[in-house]
Amino acid sequence: MTAHPIELTVNGRRVSGMAEPRTHLAEFLRGPLGLTGTHLGCEQGVCGACTVLIDGKPQRSCLTFAVSCNGDEIRTVEGFDDDPVMTELREAFSAHHALQCGYCTPGMLVTARDIVTRLGDVDEETIRRELSGNICRCTGYVGIVGAIRQVAAGKTAVAQNWNFEARHDAVAAKTVEAAPAAEAAKPASMDFSTAGDGFSVLKQQVTVPAPADQVWAVLGDIRRMAACLPGASVDTVEGDRVTGSLTISFGPIKASFAGEGEVARDESARTGTVKGRGRDAKGGSSATGEIAYAVLPQGEGTIIDVTVRYKLTGPLAQFGRSALVTDFARRMTDLFAANLTAMLTGTPGAEPARSELSFLTVASMMLGALRDRLKALIGR
Amino acid sequence: MKPAAFDYNKPADLAAALHALSGDAKPIAGGQSLTPMLNLRLARPAALVDIRRQADLLKISEAPDAIRYGAALPHAAFEDGAVPDGTNGMMRHVAGGIAYRAVRNRGTIGGSIAHADPAADWISALLALDARVIVQGAKGETAWPLDRFMLGGFTTVLEAGDLITGVSVPRLSPSARWAYYKICRKTGEFAKAIGAVVSDPDRGVFRIVCGAIEVTPILLEARSVEAALAEIDSRLADHAPAARQLYKTAMRRALEGLGETSA
Repeated sequence: MTAHPIELTVNGRRVSGMAEPRTHLAEFLRGPLGLTGTHLGCEQGVCGACTVLIDGKPQRSCLTFAVSCNGDEIRTVEGFDDDPVMTELREAFSAHHALQCGYCTPGMLVTARDIVTRLGDVDEETIRRELSGNICRCTGYVGIVGAIRQVAAGKTAVAQNWNFEARHDAVAAKTVEAAPAAEAAKPASMDFSTAGDGFSVLKQQVTVPAPADQVWAVLGDIRRMAACLPGASVDTVEGDRVTGSLTISFGPIKASFAGEGEVARDESARTGTVKGRGRDAKGGSSATGEIAYAVLPQGEGTIIDVTVRYKLTGPLAQFGRSALVTDFARRMTDLFAANLTAMLTGTPGAEPARSELSFLTVASMMLGALRDRLKALIGR
Repeated sequence: MKPAAFDYNKPADLAAALHALSGDAKPIAGGQSLTPMLNLRLARPAALVDIRRQADLLKISEAPDAIRYGAALPHAAFEDGAVPDGTNGMMRHVAGGIAYRAVRNRGTIGGSIAHADPAADWISALLALDARVIVQGAKGETAWPLDRFMLGGFTTVLEAGDLITGVSVPRLSPSARWAYYKICRKTGEFAKAIGAVVSDPDRGVFRIVCGAIEVTPILLEARSVEAALAEIDSRLADHAPAARQLYKTAMRRALEGLGETSA
């Protein structure tokens, strides 16, 4: 986490300084360099207020780390005093009342200049499309679009400067084609609903090609059961009380819930529950949940009926529904079933589950999370 | 908003980058998907490995039947026609519709694939083009079809120490046609539905992809508009009816637009 020395050219001036890796370019400009013309709005890349030129191309200074700009040429809204196009834009913005509070204006101007220089004499529709990444909450855009249209009139597009090496190969590069997919197992059926009390409910069925007696025995041994859940680990077991943790990973998101739980079993009905609660110390989210299962013989094999109820609080609470959730939970269930099958039958073919994957309970929350929370984010 | 602290390093070459990626580290090129998640503290890797300027990841190699693009090439380079195109303009069209220009200037094709957002443009478009994701890892180099590279939303075959180094896209015949239609609530927003079609009779290729469906995009078996819509209804029966309607609308418009695409 140590600070790194960086050197940039900012508005034509060489500057150097120290920056922690997590320092955004925008912060570096506004803080140590005192260039507060660059504004921070959403800090998720959506609003466009922080747009600056990096090596001549508009980019988000909130989605760019200062350390990764080492050696680059930066131009902020303060660096266009003598720029002829920007001079025209400033006057046109003023004449067209293209700003009110002015918060979005630095990003608007940098984007507007890019539209005019890169695309030349553009029509209103193109301007509106190109401006879609810059949000203004005051003007309704009419004045901004009008100002850009006025400045663009009669301008010629300037080709962008890219320089990539294209090489001709007589033969395609030697690369091993991925092995064909193994025969897909019958996917677990899945049903998702919201209980209305803040809990979400996932119901699913897992088919295991092993006798019900064996399956029932494994599910009664929390350590063996956890071994089938990628990311789960058991610390202590005392009677029906258990402590442990569950680490889940979803794309770049990782959360590790440490906590405690109780297990209960009904031998005659062959049903059981695992209740638990845990907290992700790093992220500050908490989860409460209950897994209820029933073991039913089916021919030579076994069906496990699983119902998961869970509730999240904290930063991850906003996450939690949709097709994404059920897809993830289905994948986790399939992995659990595969691991359980491998454990019971010693099937060598069953691939061990990747360690960073994990069980559906806590996992399922994150899924919908992303879609809902990040739907406004730009990255593709 | 500031991300949780992380270490940063910028390896001198690809071998050093692969070595640096073996722990709890994430590669970062454009960072246009990863940085928002860092800012929101949803992602907290111990270290970032900066691969934006790796020369090996910025190369393009042209073979007679395919073009291989370096993973760190930004979307805007495709949009501007700054790289060779073997898809009769499809990749250029798709690149130009990704998010916003300021994002396209920095965000990369490899990064978008690695992030594996089901709503992302490259995932669906490259599946329709039957491209291969080139992954470099401990076991050497492997070429993955898009729908097997992705295991689900935001989940891929990539493991610690793996890196996408490029994407290999087959060249279409001069007579090939394509269509790409996406439905967004706002220009530049994530898609709610994507229909992507590549028709290349000279190579015996006709691929229809239904994308932005919250899970891995699917390659349809249908060969007509009616059959495609029916297939969406049956294969995505567990999706909300309103969502399915969007998928079908995007698909119908893509297939109807196929006739109008110029080669």
